[in-house]
Amino acid sequence: MITLPSSSRILLAAACVSLAACATAVPPSELVDARSAYILAEEGPAQQFAPAKLDTAKKALTEAEKAFEEDPESEKTKALAYVAERKARISASAGELEKLKKKRATLDAEYVDLEHKRATMTKEELAATRARLDLAEGKAAAAEGKAAATATELAAKRAELEKEKAAREAAEGKLTAALASLKEMASVKEEARGMVITLNGAVLFATAKSELLPIAKTKLDEVAAALKAQGFKKIVIEGHTDSRGTVADNERLSLARATSVKTHLVSQGLDSVKIDAQGLASTRPVATNDTVEGRADNRRVELIVTPEK
Amino acid sequence: MRAHMATYGLVLGLMTQACGGAAVPHEQMTAAEASVRAADVGGAQASPQAELRLKQARDQIEEAKKSIAEGENEKAYYILLRAESDAELALALAEEESAKTQALEALKRIQKLMGEAQS
Repeated sequence: MITLPSSSRILLAAACVSLAACATAVPPSELVDARSAYILAEEGPAQQFAPAKLDTAKKALTEAEKAFEEDPESEKTKALAYVAERKARISASAGELEKLKKKRATLDAEYVDLEHKRATMTKEELAATRARLDLAEGKAAAAEGKAAATATELAAKRAELEKEKAAREAAEGKLTAALASLKEMASVKEEARGMVITLNGAVLFATAKSELLPIAKTKLDEVAAALKAQGFKKIVIEGHTDSRGTVADNERLSLARATSVKTHLVSQGLDSVKIDAQGLASTRPVATNDTVEGRADNRRVELIVTPEK
Repeated sequence: MRAHMATYGLVLGLMTQACGGAAVPHEQMTAAEASVRAADVGGAQASPQAELRLKQARDQIEEAKKSIAEGENEKAYYILLRAESDAELALALAEEESAKTQALEALKRIQKLMGEAQS
């Protein structure tokens, strides 16, 4: 058995006490906090996103642990542990920071992508809308064209009608003018059977004759020109006499006179098919046959004009 | 002999001062103050946690100054170590907060865009 001198026993005992004290020394709260903080930082995003900062924190903690080993209660140990705790938190924060930066970059990229998609969609929508508008515009233009064409047609039709109207009016005017010039030898009346032009027999013919007098021919030429220009559906020429003489003679004379008028009008270019000459003798007097004036009025030729429309 | 004694006295005095404590921690003071300024410029006021750490750093610098005035340079040195790390943490927290806000804004922007797209 080895025996130590008493001084050595005392030294060994002191060393053992010292070692025991070191092994069981309670770490300061700063060091406890530093250790926890480092574990948290290590488990967090710092490992991936801020390894350099985490390494700094680790070194700071190692330094603090070393100081604790050297002198658990010293100001240095507490200060270094405090610093280690802060460094651990800084590394954790730096990890979060980098993680957030990456997240933001991803979000920004996503935003750009979305915006691009939306812009593309908007472009496509715009194109579709434009196509629809073009179609609608085309339709509108076509409709407008159609309307314009219709309007042109209408205008043309109207112009044609106006022209016709003007021509008719001109013809009517001509007829009126022609009839006006016949005033002294004719009268014009609108009756249910048509326009009735009554020509005085004394002006047209010599007594008991059926040949037209030269002046009557001139006047009838004007009437013929006007009727030709205006157009007509039918003309009935009626010859009338007074009641003197025999009915047969009067009928023959009235027919001969009506026919003379017809012949002359046809000679002026009027359609003979549309003209009917009738001898009505004294069957339709317009005045009394008892007086000279009355009989003169009864001796007449009437043109009953049925207008074209 | 008098001059010799005076020189001896001065050397003794300097030796006593050196043995009595550490030197004034000018370097650590500068580092701590620089960290405080950096945190200040880095927007530590925008985050309550960062602002708290910054205030703590400033208080510690003041405490260190007192310690220096009292000749406790070593104590001041360790206080300044704490101040510097607090100021650094203030800056880190401020940057994290700012990044958090920006990420949130980016997310909101996307949500708005998606909302517009759907409407």
